[in-house]
Amino acid sequence: MSFVRRVAVILGYEWRRALAKKWVLALIVLAIAFQTLILVALAQFIATALEVEFDTIWVVGVLQGQGLFVPLIAIIIAGGSMSEEYERGTADILLSKPITKVEYITGKFLGGFSVLCLVEGITTATGVVLSLGLFGPQSELQIAPVLFLAIAYSSLVFFSLSFMFSEVFRRGTLAMFTAFGIFIASSVVSQILSLLYLSTGEPLYDYISKGLPTWSTTNFAQFIVSQLIGTLQSPLQPISSGDFQLAAAIIAVYAGASIVIATVRLVKSDVSKKAD
Amino acid sequence: MNTLSSQSVITVSDLTKFYGDFKALDAVSFAVEKGWVYGYLGPNGAGKTTTIRTMLGLLKPDQGEVQITGINPTKDPVHALQSVGYAPELPTLQTFFSGEQLMEFTGKMFGLDKLTRKEKINQLIDLVGLKEWGNKKIGKYSKGMVQRLSVALSLINDPLVLIMDEPTIGMDPEATAHFRNLFTNLSKQGKTVFISSHLLDEVQRICTHVGMINRGKMVFDGPITQVLEAFTRKWVVEAELEKVTKRMISGLEKLDYVEDVEVEGNKLRIGLKEKKDLRGEISSEIFKRKGVLLSLNLQKITLEDAYLRALRGGEQK
Repeated sequence: MSFVRRVAVILGYEWRRALAKKWVLALIVLAIAFQTLILVALAQFIATALEVEFDTIWVVGVLQGQGLFVPLIAIIIAGGSMSEEYERGTADILLSKPITKVEYITGKFLGGFSVLCLVEGITTATGVVLSLGLFGPQSELQIAPVLFLAIAYSSLVFFSLSFMFSEVFRRGTLAMFTAFGIFIASSVVSQILSLLYLSTGEPLYDYISKGLPTWSTTNFAQFIVSQLIGTLQSPLQPISSGDFQLAAAIIAVYAGASIVIATVRLVKSDVSKKAD
Repeated sequence: MNTLSSQSVITVSDLTKFYGDFKALDAVSFAVEKGWVYGYLGPNGAGKTTTIRTMLGLLKPDQGEVQITGINPTKDPVHALQSVGYAPELPTLQTFFSGEQLMEFTGKMFGLDKLTRKEKINQLIDLVGLKEWGNKKIGKYSKGMVQRLSVALSLINDPLVLIMDEPTIGMDPEATAHFRNLFTNLSKQGKTVFISSHLLDEVQRICTHVGMINRGKMVFDGPITQVLEAFTRKWVVEAELEKVTKRMISGLEKLDYVEDVEVEGNKLRIGLKEKKDLRGEISSEIFKRKGVLLSLNLQKITLEDAYLRALRGGEQK
């Protein structure tokens, strides 16, 4: 059996593991409900009051849908991916089979990430369909697949961080709380630094802000949209433009470093026994 | 100790493992050949599970090496573990699978094709008595059922080497007997069975060879017939007589093959110098001295006696 087939077997396993979790399913439902709520509210209350073209509102619908829930789902799926196998004692069963640790972690990562992509695919599709239903014909729909890929790519940051903590700590709750803590702290600090940069003009604040994990995560997809179809007027907040290449590079660094750390930790250390 | 031979299916050489400062395994060496049922004995914390987990490549040895069918599982788990079936002690299986789904997944991990997987699942689910439970989620299984499923999982790849950590824990007596027969039959088919167990009676019944470990060190490794001899200082014949006389005792004490005679009421415990069944000779001597023999037994030597003696650091005779 080849490397690819062994990775694919673990990938399929990871799908079952992630989707067997009722709270992951509950969060997916919540994410869709939240997205629906925003678009319905827009249609009912704001659209009538504003004289804005709503033919690209689907972009707002899709991006708003990602908001809090998708990073949270990413953190939960990835945070339990490696750690739960140690906590339950199933890592022994999986790794006593003819598979290398690199194949195992690759299958785990790709499995969890593909589940997340499915969720993002659903929320993207929901955003488009709801916008069509609530606001009539939409334009620029041809960029929907690119927008989906951009959202998926940007979610790599917190998925990878949580995945890394899952392997490093080998405790699911600790991994999820740490990743979520970083998400919250990074969001707050980033806002503060942006304000400081605006008020002082000191570029260091801007550099640090951009280096934090939330900047690239929250902005990359918007930068891609503005690159493709220009700056959009959103009734909620403007779709900003920016250096999408820098954002892409920062995402790659966070994801790459996290994957390398997790892999080295797995390969170099013993498979720990079930915690009593 | 067994010498490492080219026939060895499992070879553990000079295996040393530390957990921090604690030496869990201290230069452990043994070899298991094709068709053996090898019982691995030791008290809690002796290093049995550490040995097994190192054999499976789950732990990296600080020194020494393990080879399964000539391949090091730490360096090449794909080839080393392809022919290994493993049933862990009190396994926690993935509860989101049904028994059949988990077997299907495990079959995929071994690269079995769809048809083979289907055949194996039907055969093994039946073999372990879970036919009616195969499509139910594992979360609903009892401990004994999980244990049985774990044994079925370990057999899905038709392994050459079976590694079992306390395989019958949690099983009812009927299932235990069934699995004992299964392991014996597997060894007759040329498979090598490595069993870690606390159940000395079970080991004595099914194992051909025994390894004993205590505080991380091997204290015995050899055929089960040897272990009984090695740690049994002397054989004892117990004779119950209608009446014990001083003349009878002194007469028996003078015999060349008798080491000592202990008296307890009308019972004599006659210690022998050799490990031989000399009940015939002893009964003749008693009859010669007009004794009326009520019973005559060779004291049974159990693996437990030998095991406890080995753990106490008893000398091998």
